[in-house]
Amino acid sequence: MYYASIFTDYFKTYLKTRMTYRADFLIEVVTDLLFQLTNLFFILVVFLHTSSLGGWSIYEMLFIYGYFMIPYGIFTCFLNLWSFNERYIVKGEMDRILTRPAHNLVQLVLENMDPASLFGSITGFIIMGYAWLQLDVGFVWYDPFVLVLMVIGSVLIYAGVYITITSLSFFSDSPTGITPMIWNIQNYGRYPVDIYNKVIKFTLTWLLPFAFVGVYPASFFLDKDISQGFALLTPVVGIVFFSIGFVVWNVGVNRYKGAGS
Amino acid sequence: MSVIQVNQLRKVFKVQKNREGLKGAFQDLFKRQYNHVAAVDDITFQIPKGEICGYIGENGAGKSTTIKMLTGILVPTSGNIEVNGMVPYKEREKFVRSIGVVFGQRSQLWWDIGVIESFQLLKKVYRVPENDFKMRLNEIVERLQLSEILNRPVRKLSLGQRMRCELAASLLHNPSILFLDEPTIGLDIVVKTEIREFLKEMNQKYETTILLTTHDLQDIEALCSRVIMLDQGHIIYDGGLQNLKENWGKGKEVHFQFQKSYKLPQLHELTKGLNVKWVKENEMTAKVWIPQNEVNVSDVLSRIVGFTDISDIKIFETNTDEIVREIYKSGSAEKPKEVVVSNV
Repeated sequence: MYYASIFTDYFKTYLKTRMTYRADFLIEVVTDLLFQLTNLFFILVVFLHTSSLGGWSIYEMLFIYGYFMIPYGIFTCFLNLWSFNERYIVKGEMDRILTRPAHNLVQLVLENMDPASLFGSITGFIIMGYAWLQLDVGFVWYDPFVLVLMVIGSVLIYAGVYITITSLSFFSDSPTGITPMIWNIQNYGRYPVDIYNKVIKFTLTWLLPFAFVGVYPASFFLDKDISQGFALLTPVVGIVFFSIGFVVWNVGVNRYKGAGS
Repeated sequence: MSVIQVNQLRKVFKVQKNREGLKGAFQDLFKRQYNHVAAVDDITFQIPKGEICGYIGENGAGKSTTIKMLTGILVPTSGNIEVNGMVPYKEREKFVRSIGVVFGQRSQLWWDIGVIESFQLLKKVYRVPENDFKMRLNEIVERLQLSEILNRPVRKLSLGQRMRCELAASLLHNPSILFLDEPTIGLDIVVKTEIREFLKEMNQKYETTILLTTHDLQDIEALCSRVIMLDQGHIIYDGGLQNLKENWGKGKEVHFQFQKSYKLPQLHELTKGLNVKWVKENEMTAKVWIPQNEVNVSDVLSRIVGFTDISDIKIFETNTDEIVREIYKSGSAEKPKEVVVSNV
């Protein structure tokens, strides 16, 4: 209840700030979408040259891509930790966070909310819906519920991995380079894992489980047998990775060294 | 009852040693060397409820590090802290609701929104009931004269206005302890005075315990009944300001401006039996040095005033700035050395 109430207030604050700088807001939404559409365009170009990719048709690929965009949008909306090291560690704003009576991670979420990226989720949903209509995979009454569960699982995986990575800021002075690398790896998750070699497949399934933010959960709806069982693991993997992230974070916070003065 | 209890507190930072030159940088890349620096080294003190305690020391003496440990931001390397009956870093969220924090160099407020909106947000974060909040806000707004600036965004405030708002923000939830890290840094004398008055009033009215670090000794003189002086992580003095002055201040100097010329022997004659030193400045003025605890200023004055024609008298005391400078230089408050009396 408490967190819901401060969430509303922070959200109002976000809107007020954003209204002051509305051009900035528009530009962000547009660039975000353009970026996603370039990726989409890439898939379309590939399929101009071939009709299937490792046994996956263009609509199946679009479906996965659409699904991929949904949890990603939600994740960036709430866990926008890109500038964490610079803003909170180097400038020492973590001091302020730690002297306020709400969990520090929740405060970071609230302070860095970025609802603009939810437009990406909406676009993804539309792409997925379009692909769904084109494919002959049917629709069962429980599909929407499973979808919600899958999306939650995928968001938790993102959160877990990125919280862990961001926690490194507490242990090392400037862990630059890791986040962009992880970010690149995450994009592999939107292609069917069975087109990669074994090592990559293993990595994407168990180490940096980005297959669970795209292809595995999506394949549940596509009735593809490669990952049926794995698809249902999505929420479990989500909970496991999120817990790891949360624990590492809390250990990290206790090593926070403060800055200057 | 002590609200703050600190026992053998230590905080050690691991600092990377940078070797010189490009070659050194390469060596650092593969094998790092670290220095262990004790920013706070084995300090112990208690602060009772309702006390205003000044925490002073040179830059890098460990003041901010202590404050950060007391507020739960940093985890101590060893030693015990108990503030308001809690260990700050262990139950942060519960603990910080009972304290207020102002860092002079950092803002607590939201940059882009109106001051009042920041306050509203803090009210929610600290779970202050609506009625309490209103009462408290009215009182503080009136006292600090904030009503004109309440609707302005923080980024458009002057430093003095911002600082007053910061102070207000830290007190909205009626904390029993207030931590201030250089609250008057960079402020003009009017705002400084205003803030001091305000703090004093809050302390008297609500028995708010206040611990403040500062470089401005006038803050200390105006507010604090007690000072803790820190040097290289150690406490070098803990006690009353008056006490510090008495131990370190060696005496007073009185300047006389006479209406007619007096010779030194005449003056010596007047203060016969008192251990004072006369120096003649020029024809009409002379100064006398009166050592502390030996001779009373009033004794000297009574002897001089009745028998000479005086147009002006000035009394100079060793001021706190000088005392503290001396202590910083010597690094210990234990053995007072000769302190030069100010001649300003």
